[in-house]
Amino acid sequence: MSSTVLGTGTALPGAPLDNAAIGARFATDPRWVDRFIGTKTRHLGVDLDTGKVTHTLVDLAAEAGAAALAAAGVDAGEVDVVVLATASPDHLMPASVNLVADRLGIHQVPTYQLQSGCAGAVQALDVAGRMIDAERPVALVIGADSCAKHLTLDRDFPALPPTELVNYVIFGDGAGAAVLSAADGETGPRLGPVRNAFVGLGRDPGQVIRWFGAGDRDSGEQPLDEDYKAIEAGVPELAAQMLDELCALTGWAPASLTHLLPPQLGGRMTAAITEGLVARFGLTATEVSCVADTGNNGNALPFLQLHRLLPQLVPGDRAVALAIESSKWIRTGFALEMP
Amino acid sequence: MTIPVAVVGMDCRLPGAPDLAAFHRLLLEGRTVAGPVPDDRWGPDDESPAGTHSPGGFLDDAASFDHGFFGIAPAEAAAMDPQQRLLLQTTWRAVEDSGVSPRALAGTETSVHVGVMSSEWGTLHLADHRAMTAHRGSGNGYCMAANRLSYHLDLKGPSLAVDSACSSSLVAVHLAATALRAGEVDTAIAAGVNLILTPALSVFYASAGLAAADGRCKPFAAAADGIGRGEGVGVVVLRRLDDALRDGQPVHAVIDGGAVGSDGRSNGLTAPNRFAQAEVIRRAHRSGGISADDVAFVEGHGTGTKLGDMIEVRALGDVHGGRQAPMLLGSVKANLGHLEGAAGITGLIKACLALEHRVLPPTPGGPENPELRLAEHGLRLAAAPVRLPSGTLRAGVSSFGLGGTNAHLVLSSPPPRRTPAGSPDDAVVLVSGGASRHSLQAGLRELAAAVRAEPPARRGRIAWTTTQVRTGHRHRFAVAATVEGLPAALDTALAALDGAPEPERPRTPSIALTFTGQGSPYPGMAVPLYRHCPPFRAHLDAASEAVGAVGGATVTGLLLGGADLTPTAVAQPALFAVGYALAATLRDAGVHPRVLLGHSVGEFAAACLAGVFTLEEAGGLVAARGALMQALPTGGAMLSVRADEPRIREILGAAMPDVAALNGPQATVLSGDGEALTKAADALTAAGLRCTPLAVSHAFHSRLMAPVVEEFRERAGAVPARPLQVPLASTVRGALLPAGTVLDADYWADQLCAPVRFTEAAAHLADPTHVVEAGPRPVLLGLLRQAGVATGTGLACVPGPNADGTELAEVLAALHHDGLDPDWSALFAPAHRVLHRIPGYVFDTRNRFWFAANGNTDALAAGTPPPPLQSARPAVETPTPDIPASDVPALVATDAAAAVLTALSEVSGHATGALVPHARLDDDLGFDSVMAMRLADELEPRLGEPLDVEALLPHLTTVASLIDHLETRLGGPAGEGVPA
Repeated sequence: MSSTVLGTGTALPGAPLDNAAIGARFATDPRWVDRFIGTKTRHLGVDLDTGKVTHTLVDLAAEAGAAALAAAGVDAGEVDVVVLATASPDHLMPASVNLVADRLGIHQVPTYQLQSGCAGAVQALDVAGRMIDAERPVALVIGADSCAKHLTLDRDFPALPPTELVNYVIFGDGAGAAVLSAADGETGPRLGPVRNAFVGLGRDPGQVIRWFGAGDRDSGEQPLDEDYKAIEAGVPELAAQMLDELCALTGWAPASLTHLLPPQLGGRMTAAITEGLVARFGLTATEVSCVADTGNNGNALPFLQLHRLLPQLVPGDRAVALAIESSKWIRTGFALEMP
Repeated sequence: MTIPVAVVGMDCRLPGAPDLAAFHRLLLEGRTVAGPVPDDRWGPDDESPAGTHSPGGFLDDAASFDHGFFGIAPAEAAAMDPQQRLLLQTTWRAVEDSGVSPRALAGTETSVHVGVMSSEWGTLHLADHRAMTAHRGSGNGYCMAANRLSYHLDLKGPSLAVDSACSSSLVAVHLAATALRAGEVDTAIAAGVNLILTPALSVFYASAGLAAADGRCKPFAAAADGIGRGEGVGVVVLRRLDDALRDGQPVHAVIDGGAVGSDGRSNGLTAPNRFAQAEVIRRAHRSGGISADDVAFVEGHGTGTKLGDMIEVRALGDVHGGRQAPMLLGSVKANLGHLEGAAGITGLIKACLALEHRVLPPTPGGPENPELRLAEHGLRLAAAPVRLPSGTLRAGVSSFGLGGTNAHLVLSSPPPRRTPAGSPDDAVVLVSGGASRHSLQAGLRELAAAVRAEPPARRGRIAWTTTQVRTGHRHRFAVAATVEGLPAALDTALAALDGAPEPERPRTPSIALTFTGQGSPYPGMAVPLYRHCPPFRAHLDAASEAVGAVGGATVTGLLLGGADLTPTAVAQPALFAVGYALAATLRDAGVHPRVLLGHSVGEFAAACLAGVFTLEEAGGLVAARGALMQALPTGGAMLSVRADEPRIREILGAAMPDVAALNGPQATVLSGDGEALTKAADALTAAGLRCTPLAVSHAFHSRLMAPVVEEFRERAGAVPARPLQVPLASTVRGALLPAGTVLDADYWADQLCAPVRFTEAAAHLADPTHVVEAGPRPVLLGLLRQAGVATGTGLACVPGPNADGTELAEVLAALHHDGLDPDWSALFAPAHRVLHRIPGYVFDTRNRFWFAANGNTDALAAGTPPPPLQSARPAVETPTPDIPASDVPALVATDAAAAVLTALSEVSGHATGALVPHARLDDDLGFDSVMAMRLADELEPRLGEPLDVEALLPHLTTVASLIDHLETRLGGPAGEGVPA
């Protein structure tokens, strides 16, 4: 089963913030960010001087969705299903996906929102791909994240340990989207197979993002917990498994891949994972990554990579994308071929 | 196979929905609009029979009319059936919606078919023959509803009104489609209109037991209890599908076929007939080549009378009974009521919207009537919005007339059109216009909102569509920006409109095109333009290729790489390539200069544009010229002196070096070897003159160039000598060389050593309204300003190193604003040249024309002298002049002037404030021959002498010319104080 990618779009709020700008605001050493995180720039939907939100999650998702529709040459009325993946919806209710549909003028069709992290984009592609058929062929799939809710700007930054400080420099806001079609006769890259599986049985979460309501807002718990050691140890192996599985499913020899879209954790970790995959599988594929420029914006990442990939494709190209979610461990990936 | 017909344009004005978008929202929300009879119809205390006060769907502000836009005098507008006025405005917008400027239809074989079944304005205003006027005559009647559209839009195809009672407008659409299929016309306009000005039909429905108590039709619903009436106007623009697709027009839906028939001798003249209805539906299916199973939904006639619904459902059941999946059924009458003459087209527009957006709006009449047994007839009532499947969708629209004329059309969804968006970095121009500042600004605000609502990559299409649709208005507007930057640019431009001077009547600009010379290049020149202007990019690439490799790279490569452009072997070809590419882009866009001027080496690009050289010839020559000069020994120098040549000669005497350029009365450039020039500079400075040494490697335009003259003459002689196609103000000869002059090798050889006679050449730029400079920065515009010779508007294609790349588009925008109609396809990249729906023209609603409420009809019935015209007058709320009124000296109140103004105002209905001197009697004031006769009648007693209308006619051009003429005749102060 496969579908055609008709177009992609992205939304990155404001101008890119470099490490010097981030360093000045959060008392981090730009060299430390460069060396240990590897992220060069990111975009934030928050004005760091005033703390005001400039771009909500719905703003970003709608902008990326509109751009993808425009790139695809598809009108809102043609969209048969909308799937949005995010870990940071503007509200618990209404679901952000419906506010996005409203902005885009999409109506009378099913909409889904997936609560997910780094694997969300691929999960959304999986769900959307299964929701479309010859009769209802067009899906708009969006991944978006915003860290506005997690940025407390009035902390004593110099006193924070690196494990907490990293959260202020590794993430970024943004959204990406793709338009898929299951109709015959479409031209464009063919997406599929798309794989998506929970693989965290009995395994501790590598990442926890808590949410608080009126009842527990004063619990004092830290909203964000990451076990970077577990992530560093677990993600490369899961990525390798995914690559192996996709090659087996497609029958593609690893050496025949032209493009690799590796997991986007942070500039440095992504580079290390890619290096490992290249060595292990003998890859000659071109790496398509974005995290060093965009920061880690969770659900948006594979769409941002896809957006960078499409203009590079020539007929016969084969790409594989891998996305591993370390929260409770989800292994995802997809193959894409330019006919 | 029936030829498919595309619905390419639509607009409507309906109760609760002033335009198409609002109607679509109303439909999706399932709103109903019935309300009480407005006070401006007939009085609430009217003691007429039952039905008089039945609620209905009434239009908001049916009285407003932008008479000035159509050049119709207030007096005539007030006499016109408001149905005609509504049709005019709605038709204009519907044509715009089709991606075509209504003015572009003028003179074409376009037909007009208007469905209309009531003419109650006529009932009110024609009953008393003693009150008859010419304008009442032409302002009423079914025929005029159509003929007026053909007149004002200058459409040459058939023009007719259709009355088949309630099916009138769907029959009109069918006739329009038939005319297209027959090849009789290439575009057809079909419309329907209905205004309720008397309670006559309401009383009729009530007395026949057909009136719904709440004024709402509830089609196919259990609660159906009869008809509620509604008003409105709807217009569709039709093309043969192939033509529409070929011309890139957006398609709302396709009319695949249709049929019109009659009940014949049925149970009674007005009784509906199941078998006749079923037959017309079958015939429509056959005509469209479809079977009943193909039809996803039918927009039913659906009056909401028990009998009417029953018969319609049975007729549909006769056709659809055997279906596998039920067919959806609905009717817009549930929302708006029965629009009578406009009912069919309203249903058609709803069906088109449903096909286009793939959602069938709900029919809000409550639960279905179980007695209809819809399911058994293969039907399902669309009580809630229904998402329609993808692929080709088919639908039917029914409309049945009271006297038995039944119509059914079969439609399909628009063919899929995949048009991926263009680059958001491209520079484009968005234009707009209006008959008045008010309309221009209101329209621009809507355009700005539409632009903002689109994703950046698609905004270029809105800009493109405005260039195709919104042109030719008195107030012209154009703004240049990148596609992405359009919203911000529009906001700025909109703000700047406040308080801007009133425009003059635009005339076609006459343009001088100038080419910058040496000294202007800088690293990376024109690169922003290269990035943001695709046609310039293409021309620069071509010129770069023509020039060949210079300094080991292409010109394009050097520019993009930010290379040093000081060596003359590089500077000359680069300058040529940029100047040529700028001019060629403008030429492709339809900028045809009246005169060319090139400063020194700038003459090569000028000559190329003037047809003297091909691009390859000119490129090769310039490259050779640069290389030859580069090879000369260095050490030459040039000196710019703030003084004229005689003064310098007076100071230097025998030590006078060569004069390289006469750039202005106080701008002379000397050229020669370095030592001589240093001495000259010392002497001139000592004499109190300001001297600036120029950073050059060689002494250009001096005898030091002589060693290369013969070789260059030979090179130039190898190229055919061709005549100028456009006059050239030559800086070699210091004279205007008319078209036809042959520029031979000697000319180009002379150019090397001779001074650049810019001052003398520039004297020939005095007349053009615009001077455009094609070069990396506007050096010549500065010289012209200093010299004070060229008074035209100066426009620079590249302002200098700070250029943002939108400037060439800005030049076109400025020229368009000032009266040029460029070929915009030369600016827009193909991905942006996709017609996109834009908001329709915003008419000025401040002028209202209505009959006095309460008592008007009584007065007629009583046979007293009818008040309509008189009562119409107070209702004319200060007609606003749409003619620029500011900056115009008031007319001196001579006797003749006063008499003319009073008489004109009396005859036309314009307030005297609108009668500014340069107002044109025909275009601006809507003056016609009937008014000319009346004007003479009004003037004679005021002037105290007889007037010959025939003799007066030639002077009936503007207000001022008329006054002038009469004052001369009367021996008054001819023209004094009256600006002509």
